Amino acid sequence: MSAAQARAAGPGAIVRGRDILVSEWTKLRSVRSNRWTLLAVAIVTIGSAALVGSVFASGPPPAPGGPVTALTQSFLGYAEYAVLPAGVLGILAFSSEYATGLIRTTYAAVPRRWAVLGAKAAVVGAAALIAGEVLAFTSFWLTQAILSGRHRGLSLSQPGVAGAVLAAGVLLGVSAVTGLGLGAIVRHVAGAVAALVGLVYLLSLACLLLPSPWDDRIGRFTIALAAYQVVALQPQRGLLSPALSMLVLAAWPAAVLLAAGVVISRRDA
Amino acid sequence: MIEVDRLAKRFGPVTAVDGLSFTVRPGHVTGFLGPNGAGKTTTMRIILGLDSPTSGTARVQGHRYAGIVRPLHQVGSLLDANAVHGGRTAWFHLLSIAQSNGIGRRRVTELLQLTGLEAVAGRRVKGFSLGMRQRLGIAAALLGDPPVLLLDEPANGLDPEGIHWIRLLLRSLAAEGRTLLVSSHLMSEMALTADRLIIIGRGRLLADAPTERFVDASARRDVLVRSPGAGELAGLLTAAGGSVAPAGGGALAVTGLEPAAIGDLAAAHGIAVHELIPRHPSLEQAYLDLTGDSVDYRAGRAAR
Repeated sequence: MSAAQARAAGPGAIVRGRDILVSEWTKLRSVRSNRWTLLAVAIVTIGSAALVGSVFASGPPPAPGGPVTALTQSFLGYAEYAVLPAGVLGILAFSSEYATGLIRTTYAAVPRRWAVLGAKAAVVGAAALIAGEVLAFTSFWLTQAILSGRHRGLSLSQPGVAGAVLAAGVLLGVSAVTGLGLGAIVRHVAGAVAALVGLVYLLSLACLLLPSPWDDRIGRFTIALAAYQVVALQPQRGLLSPALSMLVLAAWPAAVLLAAGVVISRRDA
Repeated sequence: MIEVDRLAKRFGPVTAVDGLSFTVRPGHVTGFLGPNGAGKTTTMRIILGLDSPTSGTARVQGHRYAGIVRPLHQVGSLLDANAVHGGRTAWFHLLSIAQSNGIGRRRVTELLQLTGLEAVAGRRVKGFSLGMRQRLGIAAALLGDPPVLLLDEPANGLDPEGIHWIRLLLRSLAAEGRTLLVSSHLMSEMALTADRLIIIGRGRLLADAPTERFVDASARRDVLVRSPGAGELAGLLTAAGGSVAPAGGGALAVTGLEPAAIGDLAAAHGIAVHELIPRHPSLEQAYLDLTGDSVDYRAGRAAR
């Protein structure tokens, strides 16, 4: 084996995988707009949690099962506002490289495109997941602090609550990784954002148009309704259980990543 | 060493590369020339595993590019200096590329120094001129200290000092025994930098030769003669086997006779000669003669 062949054989797969992860982490943290995006997510999420909490606290007494709503309401900021920027963070990880042509430098440095996809998904997904958990617990404590003054608060020790809060944090990771896959497939920011909005918001709305019971039977597999189930203390009938809904939430980004991997490994860069 | 063998690439009905074969050897700067749309960039992309060929193969150091682990140690490339994220600093741009191939921070610093970018390392690339981006791209290409380099228009946007710098850099890299394939539109620059030329047109190989031989083989080699007795001299030169064409201002362009023979002939007949200039063809002229038929996007004949 010549020296060149030895170098070509190179280090083990684990070492190389770590190199690619480190590289993608550097890319993510070295672009200022990514930090601004995360900050915007944080402000909007916590802000809307506080707002919803105060509105809820000053409202009429809750009907039976009220505390359930109190929990779900603390994550309203997620569904309405946080999911989209988190998804855009994922979209930009690929589409910004396609827009500039940097993707060719990336693929020339790492010809195994599945590895690039995996590293980007891991880094962006982990960043969004951590941000999501921090925000989920902050939102929860903030709303419950506001509500506890009115004796309507919940605590993490009540059954199902801790799981629901954790699950709410996962939602941002799901959104970011789904966005990443869409960014790789669509390549253009605008198109990928449209696809993300369609997938996250419009798909569940479209299912409402179906005749009963098909609206729920199909709708329960959408990201929006699955997300609702995992943060609800008393799951809605007709939808999947929280555990199965969690699987649905994991399956969407997995499926989009798989499609992205197939597309980028076949397409000319 | 880069080996391209019967390479073809079709985009729908358009054939970008059409059965192209050539070998780029170490120790030289090999110029890669051709009109716009000739397939230079497509060929480079295929060599780098970015585009897949319709047929044929491209190998670098004996390997398919996609099969090379940590390829920056084998092949450095610069395809497009503008392919950078404007929001990232020069330092982080290079660092992210280096890290993907296990290259350390010290090497990034070295290259920022080599390319004269250390003062702007912390600045975002958005504000860089094209010349600075070219330097950044060259820094990225050299990160892995590779034995093979592929550079697409590296002198594009550089100022005269920058062009001089890159010429010396390319020549010294070749002198170290590396393989360099460099495309350019700047013929005068290529004539100074490239030892060998690969010229393609419409995806096919037009010439593959040392620069000097390619230029000398061009038909445009003549002697400019200026004489008060031009009319008489023209007849004598034709009789002696030369061919004579008017060269403007009463001068003659003579082909087929050496300057010494022309001077001797004039002296023997007592004809005064004011100018006797052997004219060597330029690479540019030789290139235009060769590629004239294969230019896809021509600005009208008058422009030439």
